[in-house]
Amino acid sequence: MKQAPSPARRLAGGFLAGAKSRLLPPSVPFRFFGAAVAFHVLAWAALLAGAADWPHWRGGLGWPLAALHGATLGTLLCSAIGASLQLLPVATRQPVRSHRLAGALWWLYVPGVAAVMIGMGRADPLWLAAGAAAVLLALAAFAALLGLNLLGARGMPGVVLHGWGALVALAALGLSALALVSLWLGRPWLDADAARGLHLVSAAFGVMGLLVFGFSYILVPMFALASVPDERRQIASGAAAIAAVACAGVAAFGVAPSALRLAAVGVGALALALHLQLMRHALRTGMRPELGRALRLMKLGWASLALALVIAGAIVLGLPVGADALPRLFGVAVVCGWLLSFLFGVLQRILPFLASMHAAQGRRRPPTPSALTVDRPLALHFAAHATALALLTGATLAGEGRLATVLAVTAGAVGLAGALSFAVFFAVLTQRLRRAPA
Amino acid sequence: MAGAARRTPVTMPTGARTWDEADGTHIDVRGLPSPQPMVQILSLLQRLPRDAVVTVHHERDPVWLYPELVQIGWWADRIPGEPGEVRLRLTASP
Repeated sequence: MKQAPSPARRLAGGFLAGAKSRLLPPSVPFRFFGAAVAFHVLAWAALLAGAADWPHWRGGLGWPLAALHGATLGTLLCSAIGASLQLLPVATRQPVRSHRLAGALWWLYVPGVAAVMIGMGRADPLWLAAGAAAVLLALAAFAALLGLNLLGARGMPGVVLHGWGALVALAALGLSALALVSLWLGRPWLDADAARGLHLVSAAFGVMGLLVFGFSYILVPMFALASVPDERRQIASGAAAIAAVACAGVAAFGVAPSALRLAAVGVGALALALHLQLMRHALRTGMRPELGRALRLMKLGWASLALALVIAGAIVLGLPVGADALPRLFGVAVVCGWLLSFLFGVLQRILPFLASMHAAQGRRRPPTPSALTVDRPLALHFAAHATALALLTGATLAGEGRLATVLAVTAGAVGLAGALSFAVFFAVLTQRLRRAPA
Repeated sequence: MAGAARRTPVTMPTGARTWDEADGTHIDVRGLPSPQPMVQILSLLQRLPRDAVVTVHHERDPVWLYPELVQIGWWADRIPGEPGEVRLRLTASP
């Protein structure tokens, strides 16, 4: 850390310069967040393009699969990488290992995801394979950075446990992705159902789910200005979540599938209950318990996860209620209801905060987070996201007729409008950041 | 860090120590996990009058604190501290 040249100097010009070892240049995390916002637009556009296929889609190549990966790889994981690179070194008191590697990751990952989406949408295995290779290489480098950070972490044992769980799940995600791409290239080496089952569990619940739970123990107290949630309960919730992912992962290989999937749902529900208890306590005891629209989105996310677990239970138990629609309904609840809702609740609070934090560097008077925020696009995004979620749920429940197609088209159009609104918020934020007076 | 006019330190329930000296109120948040230092400092500022001067004893640059400080109209100046310490003087902006 550099020593101040004068006995006292203003915060803005000095402190963040001294914190460089724990902070990336703002262009690196904001590049990942910008790509996540762009892929969010592309994901809804892909769903709109493939809306006619939605009623019959059961997971094969096509624009609905491209939309799913635009949301998962493009929006969720891209944001998670940006957040991990930016927040974890600060939270775990670690230096950023390599600014260049962190920056270079983007150039490998983002074009890779775009190629995966094109390959899936056009059902072109070669594009898909090329994109997947780039994405997996980038994820391997990200895993190395994340692992080094976790190895040297000081404090935050609950967050660190979730990080290790996510890292193991990332390995399973890579393995299952390789198996699926090989399958589409006509060279299968793993049973298709096992690969799909492992892919779903490791991606949605293993990587993203554990990162979401773990980051929540940093972000929600930070937003609400609350104490750190009880670390023993963090660990208990994390251990239950990891056990649930492990049970479902093993079940994917046909080992006692019903019993293990039922156990996964039960233990997963326990993990969620413990997690929500900690979140509720942080929000109730914090100095700033009212987080507005961001909290409403996070609550929508938590409710959707609870609903997804109920649907999963119904699928495992073979309940004869909408049996054909339940797997896709589960997917909608997990990806659109839980993960996307929660992510955009977080992003609309953390982006102005991070922008203000970086703006302090070299400036005498940095802009406040609220001065960087523009509210109307966020209000539009909220309304559109909730409406699109409801419409997509309706499209999934409506069977295979014309009504389902109409609902899917409308969901795609409304979701796209919401995604564009959020993109406007991001564009205004970055423009205001650039124009902030020095 | 001790001054001639030091008063009895108070340990807050979450581990931060606060005390008053001739140059104002001091708060020591060293050893607390994130985001506890930020929460304790903001909580202290909320209880003090706007003309108060607060000295923060920290072990690292509290990067998450700065946007919150700016948002509520406070400024931070870095002042010399002990080796390995980041010491800040907080004052309300005019």
